[in-house]
Amino acid sequence: MPARIPAGSIALWRTQSGRVTASADRCPHRGMRLSHGFVRGEALSCIYHGWSYGQTGECLRIPAHPGLTPPETIRVAAHAVEEAWGVIWVAVGETTAEPPRFEGFVPLRSLTAHADLATLKAATGATAGTAGLDWPAPGAPEIRLLSVPQEGYETLIHVLVPGDSSPAQRIAASRAAETLRRTAEDIQAKGLAPWSTTR
Amino acid sequence: MIDEWYPVGLFSQLDAVGRRTALMGEPIDVARDAEGNAKVTGGNGRALPACVRYGHVWSSLGTPQKALFAIPEADQPGRRFVDVGVVRVRCSPLRAVENFLDIAHFPFVHTDLLGAEPHTEVQNYKVEIREDEVWATQVKFYQPQAAKSASGGITTEYIYRVPAPTCSVLYKTCPPRPSEWDVITLFVQPLAEDLCDVWPWMALFDDTTSMTDLIHFQQTIFLQDRSILENQIPRLLPLDPGMEIPTRADLTSVAYRRWLKRRNYTYGAQLVAQ
Repeated sequence: MPARIPAGSIALWRTQSGRVTASADRCPHRGMRLSHGFVRGEALSCIYHGWSYGQTGECLRIPAHPGLTPPETIRVAAHAVEEAWGVIWVAVGETTAEPPRFEGFVPLRSLTAHADLATLKAATGATAGTAGLDWPAPGAPEIRLLSVPQEGYETLIHVLVPGDSSPAQRIAASRAAETLRRTAEDIQAKGLAPWSTTR
Repeated sequence: MIDEWYPVGLFSQLDAVGRRTALMGEPIDVARDAEGNAKVTGGNGRALPACVRYGHVWSSLGTPQKALFAIPEADQPGRRFVDVGVVRVRCSPLRAVENFLDIAHFPFVHTDLLGAEPHTEVQNYKVEIREDEVWATQVKFYQPQAAKSASGGITTEYIYRVPAPTCSVLYKTCPPRPSEWDVITLFVQPLAEDLCDVWPWMALFDDTTSMTDLIHFQQTIFLQDRSILENQIPRLLPLDPGMEIPTRADLTSVAYRRWLKRRNYTYGAQLVAQ
């Protein structure tokens, strides 16, 4: 699937054995987006000509030349990935740091808001936690929000709730997140966020 | 570049009111005049060159130095001529042509029609420049259903021609008549550097398939191609080596890029690797 990190678009995929990989979203052969590709076994294949790549980005196979071992120079960049408590973390550049852990929390849903991060913060009145936002949402359990800037003014929001939340609490949290999105989008549309970044 | 002939519409669909379209960023009007001839008008009301050939109206923003390229098969008796229609694609006109010249994508993009795994190998073929046109010959590929008239898989032989920067003519094994070639063309109208209207046209020996089915088959193929063309990065075609990695299967594409560069044809192209 396609995903976005500050360094650009990536192809996020899971191998048959369950390992998650974040590859640059461009096949070096003819520039096709690799996020349109398909996974077979432990490799990601480009949908255009079927060139396949391993988890470290090396080209494994060029179907037009089945007898050829692809040269090592053909490769796509791969980013470091960690999976913790249901959240996939992708590192931009080299890092030795562990990703934040939200122990006891589970992912509820993800949604895209047509609002930038500053506007979103203003709309929540939330405080910045260890990573993301601790949000005292009205009528819902303690919610953690993880936000990732997308293209333009869009922000992708991942909503996490305590793992022991009841179905009713999860529904309340989901509705609270939708209300938050509407509020943030209203502020963004009215241009009431002079502190927001202009692009 | 402005002196080339470009397709701007189907002649069979022209009426007196005409249609508003664009050529290389300039709005143009294409209509049929009182005598029944095609009339093309530029953005400032000036009359543009016009000719009608291969089912389409052709025009130019400049002054074409020579007549439109020849397709002798277009005058051959017994062929059916198919106006396939138009597919608008958000990509460079040159990317659309290059994709048309490519066979290695058949098993993955046109699965079970023009190709199928495990038949993915591209055999060696020949590429040359003939009278300032790119020609690829002896191109062979296994196809599960090469044409509407084919029953079952066959190894199809192809000859590709690029007679103009945004046009290609394909000669392909003709299942009902092994001594002849089916002709399938790709005429690309550059609306902008990263937006084009693709007008496929065919001259076939096929007396049994209905016109609707012939058109439907080609439209299916081109819609599959569109899902690729609109997702290539960058949108413009890189003419300099370094940005993309070709293999032996891409010899036609390599020759096409070099030919464009030598002619200094840069509309829809990216020259410096970014």
